[in-house]
Amino acid sequence: MTAAADADPGPAPAAARIACLHLPLFPLAARLRAEPELAREALAVVDGNGNAARVVAANRLARGAGVKPGQTLPQARALCPKLVARPGDAACERAAQEALLEVAERFSPRVEDAGDGVAYLDVEGIDRHFGKDGTPPELDLGRSLAAAAEAAGLPARVGIASSKLASRIAAGLPDSPVIVPAGEEAAFLAPLPLSRLTPEIDLAATLERWGVRSIGDFARLPAKRVASRLGKSGRDLHATSRGLDPRPLVPREPPPAFHEGMSLEWPLVSLEPFLFVGRAALERLCQRLESCGLACTRLELNLRLEPDGHQTRSLDLPAPTRDVKTLLTLVRLDLEATPPGAPVAAFAFLAHPDRPREAQLSLYGPAALSPDKLATALARLFALLGPDRVGSPQPVDGHRPERFALVPYAPPPPPETRREPRTGRGLLAVRVLRPPVALEVITEDAGETGEPAPPVEIRALVSEEEKKRLRIDGRVKVASGPWGLEEGWWTDDPAGRDYWDVELAGGGLYRLYRDRATGEWFADGVYD
Amino acid sequence: MAGALPLALDTGPDDAAATAPAVGRLRAVLPADFRGRVQSARELARARREEAAEHPPLPTAVPALDRLLAGGLPRAHLVELVGARSSGRFSTVLAALAATTGVGEAAALVDLGDGLDPAAALAAGVDLARLLWLRPADLQGALASAEIALGAGFPLVALDLGPPPVRGGRGIEAAWLRLARSARAHGAALLVASPYRVSGTAATAVLRADRARAVWQGGGATPWLLGGAATRLTIEKHRGTLPGQSAGLELKTAECPPGTRIQTPAAPAAAAPRPRPAVWEELPEPRRAAGGRR
Repeated sequence: MTAAADADPGPAPAAARIACLHLPLFPLAARLRAEPELAREALAVVDGNGNAARVVAANRLARGAGVKPGQTLPQARALCPKLVARPGDAACERAAQEALLEVAERFSPRVEDAGDGVAYLDVEGIDRHFGKDGTPPELDLGRSLAAAAEAAGLPARVGIASSKLASRIAAGLPDSPVIVPAGEEAAFLAPLPLSRLTPEIDLAATLERWGVRSIGDFARLPAKRVASRLGKSGRDLHATSRGLDPRPLVPREPPPAFHEGMSLEWPLVSLEPFLFVGRAALERLCQRLESCGLACTRLELNLRLEPDGHQTRSLDLPAPTRDVKTLLTLVRLDLEATPPGAPVAAFAFLAHPDRPREAQLSLYGPAALSPDKLATALARLFALLGPDRVGSPQPVDGHRPERFALVPYAPPPPPETRREPRTGRGLLAVRVLRPPVALEVITEDAGETGEPAPPVEIRALVSEEEKKRLRIDGRVKVASGPWGLEEGWWTDDPAGRDYWDVELAGGGLYRLYRDRATGEWFADGVYD
Repeated sequence: MAGALPLALDTGPDDAAATAPAVGRLRAVLPADFRGRVQSARELARARREEAAEHPPLPTAVPALDRLLAGGLPRAHLVELVGARSSGRFSTVLAALAATTGVGEAAALVDLGDGLDPAAALAAGVDLARLLWLRPADLQGALASAEIALGAGFPLVALDLGPPPVRGGRGIEAAWLRLARSARAHGAALLVASPYRVSGTAATAVLRADRARAVWQGGGATPWLLGGAATRLTIEKHRGTLPGQSAGLELKTAECPPGTRIQTPAAPAAAAPRPRPAVWEELPEPRRAAGGRR
């Protein structure tokens, strides 16, 4: 084949600039993100069980002792007796991949998820925001990307080029970040071995027979003839070798929820150890939410139980929050209330995000509550008291005073200018007794009129201890009534009552009523 | 002001010349670490005035309470309102909540007695949308809830302990001190309404509401109608004011005809003035270190 005569220049390289974030030794990096304390140990991630487990990735300490991927665990332990082995963890890897994508999304809205610790992002045009201090803009961008990933616990390498393959290969080189100038992708790729293109095995064997060793050798072959001999896969590979992407960057859809979790080395049976590892996961989760400007509005906890079985719990929050302490308290209370009932082998938190509450400050009006602080406080109060004991009170239709509604607390913004306080009405309020206290009542003789007779003496029908507390006992000094209340006669829960305001001789102003249906007496309020 | 050691020195204007040298002499004999913590009553009073100017009080729209507390509930302080049942304690709490929410600020009610009737609160003028209602089951939960509410930045947190006895006891004094410190840290007014004294030394001011005298209308041929109640608020303790001052409080029911006048109980006879503490004209000679107990 005479390459020079039939050389096809092909289409011009695309003008887009693509950055690649690449996590070397991805399973290891994901595990170290979840357990950063293992960074000081000789660590290997293994695949398989028992003596058949094989090393997938090892950190520098382990590699220094001679541990290599592919070795069995006994072999690795023979070389490095203090080797810490961890199985590959899909939950950790998934969370690390999501975190990597979120780092990329901080820089560009167009991010492609390439899986296994690789993310591509379209950086065309955003380099103008970098390089203010004389550093080349793309180099500054690359360093910023690497620093952002490092801050998220991901030691990523960065490569920037005009094609995905070139940027991916650039990201695989040491001395990150590596910048491939636009239009020089083919020259950058040419000296690299062909294996960098990761061709299919058959294709690799054919090219080996042809004597093609480097990417440059392959790129110099005429495109049409490569296509006629190697088919579609050969044509795509040839385009790639010339720095052209056969497939454009496909931006991902942001996931609806944030996921963070891990498989545990051994199943946990008590709460405190679980909360210890759960706290670290929640911290990572809240860090990710914060980096995206979001907060958690509902937290799901998925537990994998030993020997088998799954459990899912959902914790609704009164307002979006990303306070780790609050979320952990809610998880603790939920687990204490309903224990899983079996050892926990793996867990995953799923945070459903929402925009945190925001408030516009006023120069002249009263200060508004800080939305963040309020959300955190409400979540803590929910955890402390329960959701049915925190909120904004609302009256309900009807006249029964013991009834009320509780709605989520969301105060309106304060007025723009400060109002002058009004003079109070000086209203005598009633302290409601919930539930109403049953009474034994002696009334006046009603005679033959049939009118409700006023009470003359009352006694609470409660335990002696409660009687001492309530002290609704004694002779009635003044009684005013009856004031009729009738509602819901068309429903299954009708109310017909005759109300009396009474002053006891021993002191105390009470509101009593007699149930018309049963004739029973109750005290349902104290004037206070 | 934290950590200052108050001295029993007369702060009258006539004694200013005598006081200043006395404090100076005392400071001179104290170790250097303690010297800065010694303040005269005059200096304490000045610091309190400056603090009041920095944090204006929160008006309650209850004339009696505002008058006794010099304008309203002091911000960054704990005020305890003590009153037995039917003393107007809960009505006063609602009035304070109504005044605060009425000007557009948020407020929290920690209702240990679970006695709030939203319809009655609405009638009292409380803006329910701005009111956070917390219904703890015991005192421990109530204290924790109040502290969380203070931390959230509510300018007024009212803690009503319900009818006696308080569920969960009186609480340890350290808990009340912690709550008062939290109010101080966040600049919030904390009103504790209790059937008996609970907050100990943590309260800046303690007011007692007498048992209310019911005011009935009608009688004879017409049915009786509860028109309202009259009570009296008395200062039991106030940092900066002599105790014993009192003011009448009139409370009317919603059904009370407009224009009805409720006679408040007369003020008790004024107590005899307390003897003024003597000025330390001469400070004792500092004791020699030798001879201390081993």
